[in-house]
Amino acid sequence: MSQNTENFESLRHLLSLKRHEQPPPGYFNNFSSQVIARIKLGEVGEERAIPGRVIWEPPWLQRILAAFETKPILAGGFAVAVCGLLITGIIYSEKSDVQPVALIPVTESVSSPVEVANATAVMTAANHPLLAKPAALDASSTSPITAEGPLLGGLRAEPASFTFPGGN
Amino acid sequence: MIMTEPASRKAFRPPDEPPADPVATPVPVEEMELVKRARKGDLTAYDDLVRRYQERIYATIYHMTSNHEDANDLAQEAFIKAFQALRSFKGGSSFYTWVYRIAVNKTINFLKQRKNKAQMSLDDLDFNAEHDPDLVALISEKTPRREVGLAELQEKLNIAMQKLSEPHRLVVTLHDVQGLSHEEIAKIMDCNIGTVRSRLFYARQQLQAYLSDYLQ
Repeated sequence: MSQNTENFESLRHLLSLKRHEQPPPGYFNNFSSQVIARIKLGEVGEERAIPGRVIWEPPWLQRILAAFETKPILAGGFAVAVCGLLITGIIYSEKSDVQPVALIPVTESVSSPVEVANATAVMTAANHPLLAKPAALDASSTSPITAEGPLLGGLRAEPASFTFPGGN
Repeated sequence: MIMTEPASRKAFRPPDEPPADPVATPVPVEEMELVKRARKGDLTAYDDLVRRYQERIYATIYHMTSNHEDANDLAQEAFIKAFQALRSFKGGSSFYTWVYRIAVNKTINFLKQRKNKAQMSLDDLDFNAEHDPDLVALISEKTPRREVGLAELQEKLNIAMQKLSEPHRLVVTLHDVQGLSHEEIAKIMDCNIGTVRSRLFYARQQLQAYLSDYLQ
């Protein structure tokens, strides 16, 4: 024990070196004024920041952010989870087959173009507020429909050709 | 070398107790008055309080971190936090002990966070170091490494301090460097005096092992 004590004595001499470590000259002249300035700044900033803090920095969010700061593994895990969700979402959206929904039901009983035109006109007129008054349109009074193929199945572009009787 | 804390360590008493710390004496009335005024928002009064304790608070944090910039930030933040929490200060202990506790907790939290990126930024030694009889005796012909200079000794000492756990480093800092009594350290660390003594003994043992090349 006496040897220990003796050694501690020498250690204590060595530790006295720490008392000679001093910050740069004049360091403490401005220390308190810096503290006071930061307190004043904090008070002003606090008054201004209260509404913003309530919205953007709720306590639970601050706790989470603090946890992320202290434990980087948490932040990493969270990032991995978010990325996983994103990738899963993309894959799911690409794989799922979306069935096209027909906006206007086509019945098989409607076969001829004129009947189709009639049916369309009736439906359009019934749905459209401005055309709601006439209950039905007469097929003969409308402009002639000369489209080839099924009208509602999709529009098809046909090359137009014009022949003039005495033309060149 | 593996060292364990001895079972009988609680009975250990250092050979020479440092002089009782000024905080152990009754709190002067003037300080109480300053605290009251500061609590009401009087920044001039708080400025006086900061000036009283800035050097001791800074030094404690500096010896814990071995980094001037960190010590500067932490010391300022400790005083700012103390001002914000003044309303919760009941006056059960002295203002000094209370601020000390805030500074110590802040420092320990900081050290836990930085853990793997400890970087030293040491303060310079003052002129008196070369004439300190303790140090002159230490760097004598009896020292195993005679050629060592004060600057190198300072660096080795700080490296060894940083190897200690935070509670052990704190006890050595407060007792052997700052000169606080066991009782005061127990108040600051919120533990009993036996724990302070045992930690001090163990910390000294460890430091002795780390610095054996530089000790007589």
